[in-house]
Amino acid sequence: MVLSGVPLLTVVTFAPLVGALLIALVPRQREGLIRWLALTAAVVAFVASLALLVDFRPDIAGFQAVEEVGWIPAFGIEYKLGLDGISLVLVILTTTLSAISILASFGPIKSRMKEYLISFLILEVGLIGVFLALDLFLFYIFWEIVLVPMYLIIGIWGGTNRIYATLKFVLYTLVGSLLMLVAILATAFSFQAATGSWAGAFDFEQLRTFGFDPGLQFLAFGAFFLAFAIKVPMFPLHTWLPDAHVEAPTAGSVILAAVMLKLGAYGFIRFALPLFPQAAQEWAPAIIVLSLIAIIYGAIVALVQPDLKKLVAYSSVSHMGFVTLGIFIFQEQGLQGAILQMVNHGVITGALFLLVGVIYERTHDRAIAKMGGLAAPTPVYAAIFGFFMLASLGLPGMSGFVGEFLVLLGTFDVSPIAAAIATFVIILSAAYLMWMFQRVVFGELSDFLRGLGHHLTDMTPRELLTVTPLVGLTLALGVAPGLVLDLIAMPVTEVLARVAAPLVGAAGP
Amino acid sequence: MPFFTAAPEAVPGAVSATDQALVLSLIVLPLIGFGLTALIGRRLGGRAWIIAVAAIVLTWLAAMVLVYQTLFVGAFGEAGLHVLVYEWIPAGAFTVDIAFGVDALTAVMLIVVATVGMLVHIYSIGYMAHDPGRWRFFAYLNLFMFSMLLLVLADNFLLLFVAWELVGLCSYLLVGFWYRRRSAALAAKKAFLVNRVGDVGFTLGIVAIWTTVGTLDFGQVFQLLPEALATGAIEQWHMIGICLLLFAGAMGKSAQFPLHVWLPDAMEGPTPVSALIHAATMVNAGVYLVARSNPLFAQAPEALVVVAAVGIFTAIMAASIAFTQTDIKRVLAYSTLSQLGYMFAALGVGAFIPAIFHLLTHGFFKGLLFLGSGSVIHAVHDEQDMDRMGGLRKRIAITHLTMLVGSLAIAGIPPLAGFFSKDEILAESFKLGFAWVWFIGIVVALMTGFYMFRLMGKTFYGPSHVDPEVEPRIHESPRSMTVPLVVLAVASAVVGLALGFPFENGILHGWLEPVFHGAEETLGHAGGDYQLFGIDGTLLLISTGVSVAGVLLGWRFFGFLSRRPQPEAVERLTQRLRPAYAFSKGKWYFDELNDLLFVRLGGLVARALWWFDVHIIDGTVNGIANLTRSSGGGLRQIQTGHVQNYALGIAAGLLIIALGYLVVVTR
Repeated sequence: MVLSGVPLLTVVTFAPLVGALLIALVPRQREGLIRWLALTAAVVAFVASLALLVDFRPDIAGFQAVEEVGWIPAFGIEYKLGLDGISLVLVILTTTLSAISILASFGPIKSRMKEYLISFLILEVGLIGVFLALDLFLFYIFWEIVLVPMYLIIGIWGGTNRIYATLKFVLYTLVGSLLMLVAILATAFSFQAATGSWAGAFDFEQLRTFGFDPGLQFLAFGAFFLAFAIKVPMFPLHTWLPDAHVEAPTAGSVILAAVMLKLGAYGFIRFALPLFPQAAQEWAPAIIVLSLIAIIYGAIVALVQPDLKKLVAYSSVSHMGFVTLGIFIFQEQGLQGAILQMVNHGVITGALFLLVGVIYERTHDRAIAKMGGLAAPTPVYAAIFGFFMLASLGLPGMSGFVGEFLVLLGTFDVSPIAAAIATFVIILSAAYLMWMFQRVVFGELSDFLRGLGHHLTDMTPRELLTVTPLVGLTLALGVAPGLVLDLIAMPVTEVLARVAAPLVGAAGP
Repeated sequence: MPFFTAAPEAVPGAVSATDQALVLSLIVLPLIGFGLTALIGRRLGGRAWIIAVAAIVLTWLAAMVLVYQTLFVGAFGEAGLHVLVYEWIPAGAFTVDIAFGVDALTAVMLIVVATVGMLVHIYSIGYMAHDPGRWRFFAYLNLFMFSMLLLVLADNFLLLFVAWELVGLCSYLLVGFWYRRRSAALAAKKAFLVNRVGDVGFTLGIVAIWTTVGTLDFGQVFQLLPEALATGAIEQWHMIGICLLLFAGAMGKSAQFPLHVWLPDAMEGPTPVSALIHAATMVNAGVYLVARSNPLFAQAPEALVVVAAVGIFTAIMAASIAFTQTDIKRVLAYSTLSQLGYMFAALGVGAFIPAIFHLLTHGFFKGLLFLGSGSVIHAVHDEQDMDRMGGLRKRIAITHLTMLVGSLAIAGIPPLAGFFSKDEILAESFKLGFAWVWFIGIVVALMTGFYMFRLMGKTFYGPSHVDPEVEPRIHESPRSMTVPLVVLAVASAVVGLALGFPFENGILHGWLEPVFHGAEETLGHAGGDYQLFGIDGTLLLISTGVSVAGVLLGWRFFGFLSRRPQPEAVERLTQRLRPAYAFSKGKWYFDELNDLLFVRLGGLVARALWWFDVHIIDGTVNGIANLTRSSGGGLRQIQTGHVQNYALGIAAGLLIIALGYLVVVTR
């Protein structure tokens, strides 16, 4: 209990904001100081997130380190943060990838570094906040905060078609989240109507033991589903993702894939399932079918992508399909696997986008057809790219395998047919990844790359510094998945218990 | 402790620290070798092999101690030695350990893996001496040894699967070693992908086992699954299904029809790799898996019939293709398919010990033949086409003699190794009531002698067709390559007699009996007396007769020692059998079929789906957006530009929707 008394969750969440405010005070000419401030803020958040592990007790049910301050008492809205194993691993994922992304931005971002880093740090605040908020209104605020900086990052520092991509991204996500806001309000009204008081009407801990009316559940779940499914993204709501990825700067893509896609899946696990368990049961078969489609469809479409980023984007659709499958199969190993897969996908796909960025830095191109033969001039790059290619196709010994396998195991337990369909993706994922790798790394050096001459250098120390921690994480989680599984075991059983036996609320109809 | 205290009784299940260290060293040594070679191998230049070879020599020593302890001393009893390292996956009720087991079956596998592995490492010193990427090569080889040893030591299905994928990775890396060559990169990818087809089955099989008995530990699964069947907790089809799913994995890794297509292409890798991975060790993994799972397969005779059928069909199909190939390594690759087919046929008829016996002998003589072919290729400066060889007998005498031993061994000529193991397979097939397996097996035996001596004749005998430029520079390989050849030749000559005689009651039978005893009993295979002057002697005579006939046919057409080949006779035969020749030469057109089905048709489907994604799904999204925008045109007057108005609008809108909800909710 060395850290008792320190509002650590608030520190983690707002350390990046402090950094952003400090940067705002620094004149833009002092870019060195700005970078240093940004990186320091991100590292402070990272260290603070690791400090959460010190007092965390994985064997305790419910939330820990809860911080609660009244905010809008009239409606019972509070500033309330809390932690369980699921949020803990996702917060650490966020702080890790954010620090790496900021470091990775120092080379590629050529203009308006100050505004860029401020946006990035605010983005981090929103992401961490989403994973820690226990008040639905606060959750919604953080959820929307995320949107603004990402809109700017794609729209200002993105590629040629950035305006189209960023508008599509924002409008698409906004449609979903506004409906979610309505659903949040509806649940609060319903709670207030039943209890006669606003106290706790937005408090997740109160709401999750409140049995909502099945009709409300069905509609509210639908609204939450739309918001979360767009974010994941689930088939057929995924088409914003390839566009956003292609236009986003490298670090934007990294955070988008590694953390933002997890918001939706987290929303399902944290809010949609416990709040609306009956509706979740009703919706589950349809969502499982959509997940299976996403898994296979995303992989097949990835096969024929001519652009490296689009290929990784479609692979994300396929991989995230495993996450939603694992969530909605309502089985212990399946849900554990889904959460592990969220972390793995964050690490591995984040790394893949970093690596695509490395090649883009040198060639200003991502067309697979123009690449070829990178193994000879850039052996270190080829080796690391190969490493993450293998990690992404779920090679055992690396992290991706365990998550995928647990989801398959859980799915088979419930529906062998669904598991059989999902398992076929191990052929497809190997096919699109290895084919891509062959065309980019193997063979003779392509004329296009040869034309770059001495510009085609191997990875710089800074670039190596960004991917090495991810190599370590990929191996560590492959060899010792217990690092994550032990943390999430308790909340997983809680969520599943809630889904299996929905409580009828004290004042429910 | 006073010295006179009696030593404590060995507690059952307790494992001495020495034994633990021994088992772990088998895994750790090659891994260290891999890590060090990968990190600093490049700086070692021409001596990049030092760490890797040293690691494997030490590994071999440790393995031999373990083999001695297990097989000769019997130190670990029938249950074997079990070492728990740590709990790998703790996911609620699903837990998987990193745990190793050594029993007689593992020990026999260790003999092949460690010995051939070490010899291939030594051989590679010479073979790869001039390749600038040799440090990478030795690093990969060490990684492979780590993975393969993990495979035979794994004590549960999931850890076995991990190793299964890792050996596949090493195969990918080593087949694609010369990555600049497009054909090598393609072959590497093809090998991995075809294996993954089998892995779908394997994965589902593992998952099905866990959902049935709640464990993946070998010992428990082999006890609980048959029990579940006996008590009626699961039905027969359930057991058959699990076995067939596991067999699907075995078909991929051991390249059985129709998943055999990757192995011939895998010859793109350096020849030592072909010897080690694609002949002596990795491709045996499927055989090992089925043999290891014998308590399950014994409960599913229907699945065993499938195993036998696939095996014997692969044996004859591959042999028929080996007839006409002219690439020396491809002939050997098809021969490997064929011999693996024999092993599966043996497993399928329930002759488990002969299957492992053949795995062992084949590991030695096929490793020898591949390394020999590498020495030939080395001698004629990277030429692999046998039509451009010939007359090499005296130029590379050691290679010739050792390969001759290997060829006679694989052809089944007594008293060489292949004779004993192949005869056991054929004889048991017949005696266990699988006359069809026996009959096809006999035909394959005839074919084997023929194609092997076609290979020998085209390579070593008759006039030289070597490129005149190269001709004067033909030379025998360095000592580092010939010594492993000689060692393997000796092994190929004596290992059958040493382990397999007297027939069906040799030392190997004694070792492996405890592993397969239960399965044989379940299948009702009573071990009758060996009748040399009865059925057994007759079968022995027939199989030996056809083997000799095959060899003699090969001699007749393609020459032997100083006997001249008969190219006219070959030509006449080819003309007479034109369609069959084309079919064999075209490898039964499997590659064309796969290309059509998966590359072309699959590509078409993928492109169609992408079109659907861009034009239909995304088109709908954009269509809705455009519709909103155009209808918004009429409402433009509302756009005052004042934020307050927008805020009001949003709030009002939300209020309306929220009220709507309440109406619905309260109804």
